[in-house]
Amino acid sequence: MTAPAPTNRQSRKDTPGRTWTTTGTRRVTATDALRVVILSTFVLLALIPVVWTLLGSFKTPAELAARPITILPENWGLENYTDALGRFNFTVYLRNSVIVTIGATVLTLTINAMAAYGLAKYNFRGRTGLFLLTLATIMIPLQVILIPVYQVVASMGMVNTLWGLIIPAAATPTGVFILRQYMLGIPDELIEAARVDGSGEFRTFVRIVLPLCRPALAVVAILSVMWRWNDFLWPLVVAQSESVYTLPVALARFNAEETVPFNLILAMSVVTIVPVILLFLVFQRQITTGIANTGIK
Amino acid sequence: MTALTSDKAQSPRRAKPWGLRLAPYLFLLPNMAIFGAFTIWPAINGFNISLYSSSDGRRFRWEGLGNYQRILTDSEFWGIALNTVLFAVGYLILSVTLGVLLAVLGNQQRRGRAFFRAAFFVPVLISPVVAGLVWNWMLERRGGLVNSFLGLFGVGDIAWLIDQRLALLCVIGVGVWLQLGFYMLILLAGLQGIDPNVYEAAQIDGASRWRQFWSMTLPLLQPSVLVVVILSTIHGFQAFDFIFTLTGGGPVGATTLIVQYIYENGFVSPIRYGLATAGSVLLFLVVFTLTVINWIVGRRREAA
Repeated sequence: MTAPAPTNRQSRKDTPGRTWTTTGTRRVTATDALRVVILSTFVLLALIPVVWTLLGSFKTPAELAARPITILPENWGLENYTDALGRFNFTVYLRNSVIVTIGATVLTLTINAMAAYGLAKYNFRGRTGLFLLTLATIMIPLQVILIPVYQVVASMGMVNTLWGLIIPAAATPTGVFILRQYMLGIPDELIEAARVDGSGEFRTFVRIVLPLCRPALAVVAILSVMWRWNDFLWPLVVAQSESVYTLPVALARFNAEETVPFNLILAMSVVTIVPVILLFLVFQRQITTGIANTGIK
Repeated sequence: MTALTSDKAQSPRRAKPWGLRLAPYLFLLPNMAIFGAFTIWPAINGFNISLYSSSDGRRFRWEGLGNYQRILTDSEFWGIALNTVLFAVGYLILSVTLGVLLAVLGNQQRRGRAFFRAAFFVPVLISPVVAGLVWNWMLERRGGLVNSFLGLFGVGDIAWLIDQRLALLCVIGVGVWLQLGFYMLILLAGLQGIDPNVYEAAQIDGASRWRQFWSMTLPLLQPSVLVVVILSTIHGFQAFDFIFTLTGGGPVGATTLIVQYIYENGFVSPIRYGLATAGSVLLFLVVFTLTVINWIVGRRREAA
């Protein structure tokens, strides 16, 4: 993915746009140049805010207030980061974010994979109905059921708890869908053979099916981490006391209060965005194919 | 061995062991329990509680359709509805046009294609809360990055987030900035599914690039465009998180959208549950109707 694709394939794909009488395709046409200019402009638009945040996170309040603005920080010390860590329970928010993200992802993978297996590999009454029901709820985002969901969570005493952040959105329809599609491709004979060998149903699922689904599980895991780490509306509603704030909630609250110096807000922002970007760099291929195939976020 | 298999084959379907018959239900149980409790039941109950009012979320008073009557005659709500529609339309148009543009250009690009795709995707990874506060900072009137840059070309300071109309445009822009890489990825996957031979044929027939785009690429890309239209419609009506830190809904409510209205009436005092739940139901009906329309129109176009 990172290495440039072999040129023979690319030049073949590229021929349509060129004058097909010329054999040497090295000539740079005006359209080529225009295309690169447009693409590069959008790349700059996409990346500059991120780079600007990173640069800003090293600046002092005085540098941030300086007019005209300066581009590079005067020094690259980590004061803003250590400062932020030391103040307002930053480590607590970070820890909450990590617990919620990992806990929710493990729960999602477990129950989604089980449900997907039930839907993909068994014939039973109500199978189609349950599958369609799951799909239909992709159209019911949290935003439109915010208050009734909150009431359920409140009645269970889960407001202001990390469980209240982890459990409600764990049964993602997207995850069930991706895993079911993948499991349909696993040959029935394999499962049948395990049964003949006397393996119990659950054991077959854990020992034989799950290992085969690793690519699909990876996609769901990565999507789940991305969603949960950046999630905002639900944590905002459930995490009302500071001890259960996640990073985005803490950031939004402090930003709104305007009492926290902006250089510290920027340092916290960088801590919030870096893990997901690293994850993306490592799993770029799985993420892009996973999203391209399902078209769901 | 043969005896065993023939025995199995003869046993009628009905005689599946209990464990095997129960297994699928047990596999589905945990997911469906959470799903039922936190999605399906609330979705049904949402209609129910929209018929009550409450100022604390504990004691409820029967209102019948009173909440709907109040919300539909509330001028604040109509202002917010208008903002939401303007946002959603602008967001949809920009997402689809820019998404197609970048996907087509990115697909033609030989060198650094993977780089372009990855770079466009970076904003998708950014926490929307962070995106909102960073753009707020960059759009500062005096000395923000954007105005400082424009100042190099002699453009005076622009009141991006202070002027009401500009603020809504900025909110649309940041919303698109956050998701464009995601839409582009779907469209790119669609483009790569198009058979290159189609283009070779057109080439021989002497079709211009523009012609190829209009009469071949776009129709063949239709299914992916439909996905992006449906998703960006849903996303457009749900926008909330980045606006919270970008403008907070201001200036003077110019960028307050429906989800913020629901959130504030439901959770920020003075709490007006009735308006929040009625607003949720209306939002659901709008999103649902639009999705169905998108779907039908898209299908018909595809068939045509």
